[in-house]
Amino acid sequence: MCGIAGYFDKTGNDSAAIGAVVLKMLEALGARGPDSAGVALYGGRAKGEMVLRIKVGENGSVAKNATRLVAEARKLGKVSKSATTAEYLRLALKYQGDPKELERRLESVAAGVEIVSMGRRLEIVKQVGSPQNLDATYGIAKLTGTHGIGHTRLCTESKVDLSHSQPFWAHGCPDLAVVHNGHITNYHKLRRLYEQRGHKFYTENDSEVIGMYLADQMARGLNFRQALEASLKDLDGSFSYLAADGEHFGFAKDVFAFKPLLFTETDKFVAVATEEVALHAGLTGDYHVREAQAGEVRVWER
Amino acid sequence: MGAINCDGRTIREINSEIKRLVADGEKNIVVKNTAARHNLGVAIVKPVKLRFEGSVGYYCAGMIDGPTVEVTGSAGWGLAESMLNGTVIVRGSAGNAAAATIRGGTVVIHGDAAARLAVALKGGLVLVGGNCGYMAGFMAQKGTLIVCGDVGAAFGDSMYEAVCFVGGKIGELGNDAVIEKPTEQEEAFLRDTLKSHMPKKTVLKFKKVVAGRKLWNFSKQERAVWKEAL
Repeated sequence: MCGIAGYFDKTGNDSAAIGAVVLKMLEALGARGPDSAGVALYGGRAKGEMVLRIKVGENGSVAKNATRLVAEARKLGKVSKSATTAEYLRLALKYQGDPKELERRLESVAAGVEIVSMGRRLEIVKQVGSPQNLDATYGIAKLTGTHGIGHTRLCTESKVDLSHSQPFWAHGCPDLAVVHNGHITNYHKLRRLYEQRGHKFYTENDSEVIGMYLADQMARGLNFRQALEASLKDLDGSFSYLAADGEHFGFAKDVFAFKPLLFTETDKFVAVATEEVALHAGLTGDYHVREAQAGEVRVWER
Repeated sequence: MGAINCDGRTIREINSEIKRLVADGEKNIVVKNTAARHNLGVAIVKPVKLRFEGSVGYYCAGMIDGPTVEVTGSAGWGLAESMLNGTVIVRGSAGNAAAATIRGGTVVIHGDAAARLAVALKGGLVLVGGNCGYMAGFMAQKGTLIVCGDVGAAFGDSMYEAVCFVGGKIGELGNDAVIEKPTEQEEAFLRDTLKSHMPKKTVLKFKKVVAGRKLWNFSKQERAVWKEAL
């Protein structure tokens, strides 16, 4: 099971109500995955600014770790905003250096600290529980931007906690995020390969490898679309996934069409979801819906 | 005419209400605000008219025998699955495994169909106005599948006595599927079928696809054929 949904505004408006739309779609898909919910939203940011959403650590250490993280961040760039909500510290800082270095420095501040997302436009919020709870805690319905993706999880093989929830940010690659419905059967093989190259995995969730795969393909010179197309051959198993970065929004469906995914495109927007109930919940007006075909990849660029 | 509003009702309540109206002798039932919800209008076994205004989710009109079901929007996975008789018309597109294992009746999809259309077809007629995905007609035993547009890969794989007609391009034929020239009678049947279900649609020429019967009986001499198919 699991439910995925995404919305992409085509009008060039960078303050579309993407938080509210993705939230409504996720609420409609809630029955497909009650374990956790999350969104990755892409909004406009100040130039040169990097926004980080950081899982601060276990209960009790939150305030202390947050203070240490802000202190560490100040050594690396000018911190313009910092705020803690529930398990997260949100940081905005001027930073032009190597994103991997920023990640390494901040995560070494204390055990249990994890960069959930980093990007010039991306922000990920996810937690255990329903989409409604996610909104109650973080107020995602108020967030605006150009595009967003979301996920409700029915856990099958790895544990239920914040880190194992989706979307997954592709660590080391700012702005790239993925939501996945299905099962990547060559996960362990790919994971071993990436671990040998020095990549760190944060979870036992097979979906985590998709973002890493796409980041790796793009580092080798493929563009966003080509990376998604290549994944049809290199990823085994069942998958319908949505991927996005600051400029792109796209989906890929495995060559056997094991998992549902349908989409609609009008002059104003593109919306993609596991079930049409989500589109009815999130959209208004007339639109024509089509199930994605086996092995279909589609990408939209901002 | 009986009307049902789906808002605020569970699927069980909606389907019970449909069945109650059918039992009361209602011949015309309209269901509103369907919002793509699943399992609507299953197991209706009387020749009533049932109209869903909007889109429906998974398994709409499954296991029916006799009714005429119309969906004004699109349909999710497993449309009309295992129907015995009746007519199902979808104005939009349909998800995977539409008209799978039907034994009789007619399924008309005006838009596109996705993967595994009419798999294990055991009778009846399936007509698609647009394109369809891969693996359509897999192991179809009897009945007729007509696709006006293009079809995906593995088309008509491992079929028995079903007959398929394709108006557009064939992505790739499945194992043992072969192309034949339609007979004059078949061409007349295709014209009549289109005229009655999709009067605005014109398809100049259909390709006919049937089983080459190479997989019907096992022969040691044909090991290569089996190796390919399995």
